[in-house]
Amino acid sequence: MSDSAAIAARSLSKRYGSTTAVDGLSFEVESGVVYGFLGPNGAGKTTTMRMLTGLIEPTGGEAFVAGTHCTDRERLVDRIGLLPEQPPLYEELSGREQLQFAADLREIPWSAVEDRAMGLVEDLGLAEDVDRRIDGYSKGMRQKVAFVQAVQHDPAVVFLDEPTSGLDPRAARTLRELIVDLAAGDTTVFLSTHILPVVEEIADRVGVLYDGRLVSQGSPEELAGAVEGEDGEADLEDAFLELTDAATPWGR
Amino acid sequence: MSRSPFGLDRSTVRDAVVVAGTELRAQYRHLRNDLRQGLATAFSLAMFGLFVPLFVLGSAVEFGSRLAAGSVPLGTAGVASAALLVVSGYVGAAGGFNQKRLGNVGPLVRTSVPPLAVSLSRLLDRLVQSLLVLVPACLLLLAGVAVGAGGVFAPVLVVAWALPVLAAGLFVGRAIGSLARYLNEWLGLSLWLKAALVLTLAVGSYVGVMLVLTNQFGTTGEFGGVAIPAFLPGRPLQAYGALAFAPLGAAPGPVGALVAVCLLAAVPLGLVTALRVETRILLTDFGGEENAAAVTRGVPRPFGATPSLRVAWRYLLRTRRDPRMLAHLAPLLFGAFGLVASAVQDPESLLFSGPITLFVGGVTLAGAAYCLNPLGDDRDQLPLLLTSTASTAVLLRGRALAGTALGLVPAAVIAGPVSAVSFSPAFALGQTLLAVVLSLAGSGTALGLGAIAPKFERREAMGVERPHPSNIAVFGLLFGGIGVGLAGLGLVWWTLSGASLAIVGIAWVVYLLVVSAIGAAGYAYALRTFDALTLDDV
Repeated sequence: MSDSAAIAARSLSKRYGSTTAVDGLSFEVESGVVYGFLGPNGAGKTTTMRMLTGLIEPTGGEAFVAGTHCTDRERLVDRIGLLPEQPPLYEELSGREQLQFAADLREIPWSAVEDRAMGLVEDLGLAEDVDRRIDGYSKGMRQKVAFVQAVQHDPAVVFLDEPTSGLDPRAARTLRELIVDLAAGDTTVFLSTHILPVVEEIADRVGVLYDGRLVSQGSPEELAGAVEGEDGEADLEDAFLELTDAATPWGR
Repeated sequence: MSRSPFGLDRSTVRDAVVVAGTELRAQYRHLRNDLRQGLATAFSLAMFGLFVPLFVLGSAVEFGSRLAAGSVPLGTAGVASAALLVVSGYVGAAGGFNQKRLGNVGPLVRTSVPPLAVSLSRLLDRLVQSLLVLVPACLLLLAGVAVGAGGVFAPVLVVAWALPVLAAGLFVGRAIGSLARYLNEWLGLSLWLKAALVLTLAVGSYVGVMLVLTNQFGTTGEFGGVAIPAFLPGRPLQAYGALAFAPLGAAPGPVGALVAVCLLAAVPLGLVTALRVETRILLTDFGGEENAAAVTRGVPRPFGATPSLRVAWRYLLRTRRDPRMLAHLAPLLFGAFGLVASAVQDPESLLFSGPITLFVGGVTLAGAAYCLNPLGDDRDQLPLLLTSTASTAVLLRGRALAGTALGLVPAAVIAGPVSAVSFSPAFALGQTLLAVVLSLAGSGTALGLGAIAPKFERREAMGVERPHPSNIAVFGLLFGGIGVGLAGLGLVWWTLSGASLAIVGIAWVVYLLVVSAIGAAGYAYALRTFDALTLDDV
């Protein structure tokens, strides 16, 4: 593992009975980059994110996040933030109360994170609604609160699962800019999404997972350059389709 | 296409049967794949379909023998049909009122078949489920009647007598439940007001039944070895019994015929009313009242000192905004029912039983409110909780403190001054100090119980669908709380009665050590268990 790696996985595996969800995954993500984690449904992306964030334990191999073993939750939680696919929010609280609750869980005084959190709330256009109850929020508004909750404590590594889901185009663009800003501030962003143009736009590195195995890795340009598009110029979508097709026995 | 006057045609009925059949299959497969829930369902079926009828099996045999002897027990028939009407009416009403979710295939069904078919499918689904409980119970009692009568003619007559009562109860109950649900949605009452209405209705019904039983038991008739009159609704149902059992020598009259006509007419009337109301509910947008309140509240000073206290405050705040968080506490109310019934009959008894009940209820509430299913209750938020803190201590302590704050209101704030008036200021002081200790110990104990039997799957209880605590944990804490609370009050009374200081001191040390050790052990076990929790365990 290189000294500057924010995430390093070695032969990481997860089995459920006879089913292998993740099979010997090895990769590294440098500090301060946006890493796009791609794969078709059921490829093992969520399982990988859960192992890296300590939510489940690997059945084989190991992984380090911000220099901490992924099963060492005591140290890990101080270094990470997570936005899962279903925003983990309490319906009865307001957006602000939810953010305060998340700070209390981390035993961080609200005053220490308030400026950063409310700045993000402002950037995402949620300021007018932050004191309303979450059960009255749209999907996009929930997503915004959950995003702020994941990054308000300035984690070293943040894991985002479909962060632009439910956001309108303007909010989605703002969020993409915020993600780039996070990386510029030396936060490593592990981004799982199906929206390939988003990855193409903001990711520095991309990993493609298929059937629990990493089938390709590189910059979006490297991945696109390795395949040939229909009109001669390939993009990340062409690369994704070819990689996940070629990886199947019937695609070879 | 044949269409009935009520708008039910063959296609609608066919759609409803298909949807209900699919829903029942989905529920069956869910139970088959979930051992714990399957066992719980089997236990409920055995409890209500087998054990409860066994209690009155002797009466059924006696009923059969008296039928065969030609002396038709009309008093018993009146009571039995009233009981059947109440039970089937309750089952029907509960089915009509509790329709929060549309089963496993909800969105697809809503957009695929007519609303009337959706209503009918839900009714059929619930009817089959109800019959799964009622039919075994009825068959068992019919077997008892057959044994007593020594033949099958009497049981056949019993079936002819009971079926209209059962059907009328189920369908009229369903219509009443649906109407209540419609009114509930239409009025748009706050959740707290709804909770208060349900409580008042429940306590009022209980007290009413108790008053009827205590005032009218023991004048005429006999049932299950207990002498009772032809009580509610009495004579009309006896007259109906006389009509049904006329072939065995009873003397039928016009009142019986009128009751029979009413019962038979109530079945289609109840069915049509229920279907119409339920279809209207499906098609009406009542709007949500959950979104109404919209303010951030600061943490008040006593709760602002530590992260655990701030977490505790947010649990209390969430409860204030949505009392359904405490739906699992319904069993605690049975104690309150008894207190209210006693108070109505003998208001002065409230001065004695009131503070004691409030004390015991309060210290039990302290643990039961938030600690019986600590992380199961937060299932949807586990990704946040498990990636925000290495130790669940802040969360568990927050829950314990929230429960303690809630429990101390009845156990100390209300019970203390009442005890000072009813007993003595010294007793009130001792009781208040004990309330603080027992509330904290009870919270720790409840956390331990919640860690032993965590529940992560959602289920419906009291019309609320969420991961409710295990019933074993609820009842364990409830009965434990009653025992430990009464023992503690006994010690306070003993201390003040002038007993030997040394013996009393030893008793207190033992009592407090045991109670504190159990509470601390429960907390420690919960902490160890939940700190090691991963999503693999959920």
